[in-house]
Amino acid sequence: MAIPSIMAMGSGAAPNALKTAPTTFESQQKFGNFLKEAIQDVNTAQVQSDVMTEKLVRGEDVDLHNVMITAQKASIALNATMEVRNKVIEAYQEVMRMPV
Amino acid sequence: MSIFHSLNSSASALTAQRLRMDVISSNMANIDTTRGKLVDGEWKPYQRKSVSFQPKQGQFSSFLNVAIGNRDRGAIGNGVSVSRIQEDNETPFKQVFDPTHPDANEEGYVEMPNVDPLRETIDMMSATRSYEANITVLNSNKAMLMKALEIGK
Repeated sequence: MAIPSIMAMGSGAAPNALKTAPTTFESQQKFGNFLKEAIQDVNTAQVQSDVMTEKLVRGEDVDLHNVMITAQKASIALNATMEVRNKVIEAYQEVMRMPV
Repeated sequence: MSIFHSLNSSASALTAQRLRMDVISSNMANIDTTRGKLVDGEWKPYQRKSVSFQPKQGQFSSFLNVAIGNRDRGAIGNGVSVSRIQEDNETPFKQVFDPTHPDANEEGYVEMPNVDPLRETIDMMSATRSYEANITVLNSNKAMLMKALEIGK
């Protein structure tokens, strides 16, 4: 008795799920783009930090604390990225460990 | 970049306090300057300068946030900026009796700048402490962000 009722629920939900859920390829593309953008942002922070440090060394009109703060921002952004990466790898390894 | 909003506010305060410190340095350096400004062919001594601050004017986005009723986003503020550096016209110049001085008047008195070293020292301490306080705020902010990255470890 239980199995047909589950099947009925499944058939009811399926058309909706088919309409909204993207295909595997699409979701991979989206995830890839998201990752690319995030890394681009982190890279921008690093480049900004580099530019500020270079300006300071060249003796241009920049404040020392602004150089330090830019460096800290870059460091925080990079740390956040590393955390996300660690989570992704953890998830991947979890999947790989799955007994088939 | 809203996670760095508070860092930016602290940075603006640090910049403002640096500028205040620069002005104090200038006051201290010119404590004996008798030829600060030429007024009607006559030399006037250096006038003490002081800095006044104002809250930093928001970007377009913060005004927009207030306008659409997103009040708390617009009300946080954007830090501080220096509104102007004004000269102290209130305090009179010090009169020092020194007839041999090239800028002495007929009675032998020289007008000295209205800079008070004690006052400048106190201002300097205040600027230093404010700078330190803002760095502490900044470090606390960073510590909070780094703690947030530890969520789920």
